[in-house]
Amino acid sequence: MTGDVFDPGQLSRCISCGFCLPACPTYAMTGDEASSPRGRITLMRALQDGTLPPDDPTLAEQSSFCLGCRACEPVCPAGVQYGSLLEQWRVHQWRGRRRPPLARALTLVAGQRWLLRLLGLVRGAARGPAAPSPTTAGPAAAPPTTAAEPAAAESGAGEPAGQLMLGCFERALYPAVSRAARALDPALAVPSAQGCCGALHAHNGDLAGGERLARRLGEELPGTIVTTSGGCAAHLASVLGPRRVRELSTWLAGRPPGTELRVAGRRARVTLQDSCHLRNGLGVFAEPRALLRQVADYVELPSAATCCGAAGTYSLLRPNDSRRILDAKLDEIEAAGVDLVVAVNPGCLRQLRTGLRRRRSAVRAVHLAELLAEATAPAPPA
Amino acid sequence: MALSATVRAELRDIVGPANVHDAEGDLVAYARDATPLFTHRPDAVAFPADTAEVAAVLALATRHGVPVVPRGAGSNLCAATVPLRGGIVLVLTRLNAILEISADELLARVQPGVSSAVLADAVAAHGLLWAPDPGSRTVATVGGTIATCAGGLRGLKYGVTRNYVLGLEAVLPTGEVIRTGGRLWKDVAGYDLTRLLTGSEGTLAVITEATVALLPAPASANTGVAYFPSLAEAGEAVARVIRAGVVPATLEFLDRACIDAVEDFAHLGLRTDAGALLLFGDDGPPDLVATHLDRIGAACVAAGAVEVTTAREVAQAEALLAARRCALPALSRRGGVTILEDATVPRPRIAEMVDRIDAIAARHGVAIATFGHAGDGNLHPTCVLDSSDDTDAVRRAEAAFADVFAAALDLGGTITGEHGVGAAKLPFLAARLGDDQLALLRRIKTAFDPAGILNPGKLGS
Repeated sequence: MTGDVFDPGQLSRCISCGFCLPACPTYAMTGDEASSPRGRITLMRALQDGTLPPDDPTLAEQSSFCLGCRACEPVCPAGVQYGSLLEQWRVHQWRGRRRPPLARALTLVAGQRWLLRLLGLVRGAARGPAAPSPTTAGPAAAPPTTAAEPAAAESGAGEPAGQLMLGCFERALYPAVSRAARALDPALAVPSAQGCCGALHAHNGDLAGGERLARRLGEELPGTIVTTSGGCAAHLASVLGPRRVRELSTWLAGRPPGTELRVAGRRARVTLQDSCHLRNGLGVFAEPRALLRQVADYVELPSAATCCGAAGTYSLLRPNDSRRILDAKLDEIEAAGVDLVVAVNPGCLRQLRTGLRRRRSAVRAVHLAELLAEATAPAPPA
Repeated sequence: MALSATVRAELRDIVGPANVHDAEGDLVAYARDATPLFTHRPDAVAFPADTAEVAAVLALATRHGVPVVPRGAGSNLCAATVPLRGGIVLVLTRLNAILEISADELLARVQPGVSSAVLADAVAAHGLLWAPDPGSRTVATVGGTIATCAGGLRGLKYGVTRNYVLGLEAVLPTGEVIRTGGRLWKDVAGYDLTRLLTGSEGTLAVITEATVALLPAPASANTGVAYFPSLAEAGEAVARVIRAGVVPATLEFLDRACIDAVEDFAHLGLRTDAGALLLFGDDGPPDLVATHLDRIGAACVAAGAVEVTTAREVAQAEALLAARRCALPALSRRGGVTILEDATVPRPRIAEMVDRIDAIAARHGVAIATFGHAGDGNLHPTCVLDSSDDTDAVRRAEAAFADVFAAALDLGGTITGEHGVGAAKLPFLAARLGDDQLALLRRIKTAFDPAGILNPGKLGS
């Protein structure tokens, strides 16, 4: 009897109706009950009640094969919180040395605050066109910003100024995304003394660490946290409450649109790849589409709401499965006749960009912030 | 029973080693379907790729006396796919091709692993309608839909699955492949084995291909809602609707507990102060639909409806239907275990049946919420329990349902309208069919399956 791996209340919610099966990308791949959300919950129950031993190989495989995209949640009429159950499952499966070394390394790096701060400064995410706030200009050892400073200012939308979260992944790979977000809303405060939100930890078997980091970031960024990462937004909202967190598209919603984005002398054709956790965890999907429609011709991908295979560390831990999912997605993107595919999460951006480059595709992958900033920037003289 | 090393090796040879799963965890995952309270582990799970592999597996099983349980998506509600005696679960999800859609002949040929919704979407692109519409249509496979003769929300006007199966390719438990019926609407050559296999719940043969009848898609559809003080008035409204000369495509009811649960999930602005809700709808040319919805609305008002509204746009109508489809899982928000039945009575007896269900629930001290298909008398009394660990509550619920079945038979009804017998209702089958008919069922089963390997412990056992 293992007994205490899962919250019993959450685990008992599932009635095994199977409505989640058609929403699950891994069930679509295999047609196998064990790799469906319902089957995985049956496995979780077997772990909880001791029917299966804690080191059962199917438990190990299925907890890792799951993308964690949470596409099963919006279609679940019984309200099962699958994402939360998966996090609890991975705490058990990936306990101690069973945690994949790569996941261990990544969470270790992301937990290093000094390294993130350095990355932000070196890669330039924390520098930008906006007027420097008192905290961004300060030395690396500056104390965390307090609520009194930037939150007092008003943004264009009449809300208190947001605190831009820089994100560990973005600071390393896509500092331009943060700079674009600052160009779109110069009133955003950008404290450089901010750590990782802990989403990476929560999804990779360190739920307690993930919650601790989120709370700490909540203290470092008082007021409304604005993020360009759908995954971070969903994790922060689950720990700090949804009122504290705004993903960029919801933060920008309702502002005056930029100018039309043009490609080859015509209005650009763009499509969106949803961020799974933004859509399935926070229910945000209309907002980025509305922003895109303002500046370009929008084309909806049939599988826009389905995972691209990035899934946090999944593309690194299970490259073959990730690639299978991505390939079908790229076929669809190339068939859609678009100039740009837009991501609202840095992991998806990396996944799409890598895949499209590998194919030498003419389609470019960009982050929503970059596209909107481009549409807002003064047009070059004709 | 345990599988011998020989059987395991041969099974791997037939479908390929990667398509046999027999780790403990895999067996746990296939020990149940969507039915609560029934679990039993198989000894192996096999995923055949085609008819030839299905035939080879069945011949092997007959030779060695190994039980085989065919399975689609496992969304049935009568424990039809629980491997009560172990053996091999034969999963047909790899046979998932739509082989042909013929708009000229109004038919499709399809493999059993395609989901009902995928088939419906594919034929809709040709302007056609796949009429069977079980609540689980997004999940359920066509093979499972045929094997259980699933009903759904369109039963009154369109009938059920059996009305749309023209022909089947099926593998007998002894390994022979038969083709029944075909592309013909008229064909009386021989016993109607197509109808016999439809609803046979995987006990006579394994369906590997189906030729199904399609209809031209209706030009438009609309849906409305009527609220009543109690189910008695809603029952009266159903009678008045039929008397008004309308056979609606949709006529569904929810009692108060179900309205609450669905509103909780779907947030459609349903009135939670009403005693009963009737969801009605029709399809066809727009003028006719509008006329019919007016007549249905008037019949509801005459029967005592407190409010009648029709959907203003397609999305709203679809949301109402989607909400009705999820009534069962939405009810599960009330507790961890939902025991759902589908006792069915002649249409005029619905209100009377619901009264009896309420009395039975009170007598056994259990909470039973009821929704269902008012147009065809098919009720879904559903008992919500906190946990299956509460054996006393489970026992009381089971006793209550035994009384519900008896009440349905007393009113000229049946123990199951559309979910099937499976393992869950086998104990009540004799009361519905009588001993002579039950004995005939067993002889039919033996004619198909002399070794008794196909889904033992269910129909025909």
